[in-house]
Amino acid sequence: MTTKTSLLKVILLGDGGVGKSSIMNRYVTNKFDAHLFHTIGVEFLNKDLEVDGHQVTLQIWDTAGQERFRSLRTPFYRGSDCCLLTFSVDDNQSFLNLGNWKKEFIYYADVKEPEKFPFVVLGNKLDVTERQVSAEEAQQWCQENGDYPYYETSAKDATNVAIAFEEAVRRVLAMDERTDHLIPTDTVKLHRKPRSATTCCS
Amino acid sequence: MAEETVQKVVFEHEGVFIHSSSDEDGIEQDLLVSGSLRIVDKDGEIFVEYRPLEDTVDPSNMLCAGKDSSSVMEWAQCPGDRSHQLLETQQSYETEWDMVNAVSFKRRPCTNGEGSLNHSHERSRWAFTFSVSDLRSITVKEEGWSFLLFKLKDSSSPSSPSSPLPALHFHQGGSREFLDSLRRFALLSEAPDDETCLLVSTPNKALSQSFENLLDDNNFGLVHQKFRKDPYVTTLGSFSKVTNYIFDAFRGTEEQHQRPPEEVADLLGEVIPGLEINQQEEPGFEVITRIDLGARPQVTRREPLSAEDWTKHQDPEGRMIKIRHLKQVIFKGGLCHAVRKEAWKFLLGYFPWDSTLEERKALQRNKTDEYFRMKLQWKSVSEEQERRNSRLRDYRSLIEKDVNRTDRTNRFYEGIDNPGLVLLHDILMTYCMYDFDLGYVQGMSDLLSPILYVMENEVDAFWCFVSFMDQMHQNFEEQMQGMKTQLIQLSTLLRLLDLAFWNYLESQDSGYLYFCFRWLLIRFKRELSFQDVLRLWEVMWTGLPCQNFHLLVCCAILDSEKQKIMEENYGFNEILKHINELSMKLDIEEILQKAEGISLQIRSCKDLPESVSNILGFHTEVSGSDPTDPGSRPAPRPAQRQDACSNGHGHLRETGSHNSCKVAFIS
Repeated sequence: MTTKTSLLKVILLGDGGVGKSSIMNRYVTNKFDAHLFHTIGVEFLNKDLEVDGHQVTLQIWDTAGQERFRSLRTPFYRGSDCCLLTFSVDDNQSFLNLGNWKKEFIYYADVKEPEKFPFVVLGNKLDVTERQVSAEEAQQWCQENGDYPYYETSAKDATNVAIAFEEAVRRVLAMDERTDHLIPTDTVKLHRKPRSATTCCS
Repeated sequence: MAEETVQKVVFEHEGVFIHSSSDEDGIEQDLLVSGSLRIVDKDGEIFVEYRPLEDTVDPSNMLCAGKDSSSVMEWAQCPGDRSHQLLETQQSYETEWDMVNAVSFKRRPCTNGEGSLNHSHERSRWAFTFSVSDLRSITVKEEGWSFLLFKLKDSSSPSSPSSPLPALHFHQGGSREFLDSLRRFALLSEAPDDETCLLVSTPNKALSQSFENLLDDNNFGLVHQKFRKDPYVTTLGSFSKVTNYIFDAFRGTEEQHQRPPEEVADLLGEVIPGLEINQQEEPGFEVITRIDLGARPQVTRREPLSAEDWTKHQDPEGRMIKIRHLKQVIFKGGLCHAVRKEAWKFLLGYFPWDSTLEERKALQRNKTDEYFRMKLQWKSVSEEQERRNSRLRDYRSLIEKDVNRTDRTNRFYEGIDNPGLVLLHDILMTYCMYDFDLGYVQGMSDLLSPILYVMENEVDAFWCFVSFMDQMHQNFEEQMQGMKTQLIQLSTLLRLLDLAFWNYLESQDSGYLYFCFRWLLIRFKRELSFQDVLRLWEVMWTGLPCQNFHLLVCCAILDSEKQKIMEENYGFNEILKHINELSMKLDIEEILQKAEGISLQIRSCKDLPESVSNILGFHTEVSGSDPTDPGSRPAPRPAQRQDACSNGHGHLRETGSHNSCKVAFIS
């Protein structure tokens, strides 16, 4: 059997201005623009990568962070394989809002087993000198909320960005293997969901 | 679908100077002319364009708030005849482009504004443009900074000036990037006898060389590097084979593993419920499908309204006269930049058209007081108070973030501590006090930025912004009703104009037109270059040729993209991506031309459905006040609309089973 490329949908969520678009652009185009416009509406970029022998195309979705745009943002949560909860280490409020983002995602993505869904938490803007959120606080939150992997990133310096996305992919693949193991006979679902159909080959 | 002129700005760099002391007549010694250099793709032909910038664009020149503006105070400004001076230097902004055209080898000659303004004339003569195919060589020299000397082929233009083109000095860098960009369209190779001289091969010849050759051309060595970094950008131009290869590769993976988008679409349908209701409940729907619109008239655009013409529309006391004609002229050509500062106040409704100069001065005095009263309100909130006012805190935090992310490459807002940024911030904060219920919503900074740029004055910019927000308010409200209404209206129009395309979008779960969200929320602000936004907005603000003209602008753009979308059989995600990526690749004059044509096409239709007439406001017009120019209206022609339905059907049959009901409904 030959390995096929899986398409994984990853969504970046977090307050306005924490650097969601910058993280996405750094990862996909390896560029950083300090003066990037704030996102209006919804955008996405694709990125091919290989993780542990799996060929994966990441489809990374980026949304406008303001509360007002919720109704036009949330429909895109469906079908996500992973959610990157993002805050900025120099903005305590964005850290405090992580829980709200998680709730919003679980509700609108219609996640069946929220406690098993792969979230990854990113503390961005590691490059700034004045931190408002310590690494310990963030780690503690991650631990208490479901043992999520936590990465301190800098889209500006390219610190930890690729690693975080790769970890996200690993989490999803691990989930899939378990799911396939548990429900091996769900062929209809396999047919409808390309991800499940393609990751069984290793 | 007919091929039309496509103009794309491929490269743009400001801060490119001409040292006019090198001028032979020696009159203008020591004058540094600052300008911007562009590479423009006009229908596949590549042009290099240089135009001088006016110093009024320099933010350091404008009226601005002091660092501590907590008290009500007058703004730091130059004494005396400053406003007069401003106007005079500004005149030339738009006319310079006309001059560019006049010097151009291939474009139409143009007379607007010529000779009327000495100052502009002096500057405008530095503007030049030439086709890359007319370029013989570029000499690259260093003098602490880089400067380039262009040499044209002798035979290329009989009309070219006898003197050589002036050297361009890159005091703010950018010469390498310019040459890089140029390499996408021409082969630059070192002259054997002079290493500073790059010989230019015409684009066709360059293309016929193997791609590897181009990559290995490492005189400046950057093409290769850049290509690897960003294949998308680099291949936008002439390397079509490579582009195809990349697109194929891209599409390949997409097709194999496309996630069914109907889940998202269903949810969006719930968000925008009107769209679904339309299909089932509107009894007139079948009638709409059979309407034949007739051929779309070709219209031409005109020159921008000059300062002189603007003045001609004022009576001795300053009242504007012949307003209908004035609006018509603005609709057809826009405004010269120099006129904008005054004209926008009328177009936006800040100044009443029939007010006298005296009345307007009084109005401005009152509005100034009112503005600073509101500004003082947020300025005087203590930290303690703000701690207990989460809404104000949130507004402020978001405004601060967004001001730092709005038009930062525009000179008016670039750099750190630019006064333009302070003004943008203060006006948005004051608007929160003006309308605390709405407060600040993302997108509003985009709407303010061009207005402030044009007004160069805090108070005027604020009140013009207030007027613009009156129109746009619903877009930003909690329920985003304005957005929903517009998407429904757009869908109705598109269905009338192009049923096949509309059906195709439906079949791809995109019938609710979500991908137009950004266009509508901020009126194409992110889709067009800054200067083109100014043009589009002033045209829209005339209210001509019909209500909701911006929806026809949407239709015009979609009309240009539909072929690509349908031929490539784009699905939900790809349509969204394709439309998002049109940003900065659109040609405003072409779009306006097409949109006006569409408006005439619809207007001449006899059995127009009620819903469409309502959207475009045809019912509310007083009879005889048809604002369209009779000269540009076509003679009635027999219905002969190109029917793209067959195309649409073909695609529809290929779509998945989940769309079966939708397929049935068109048959």
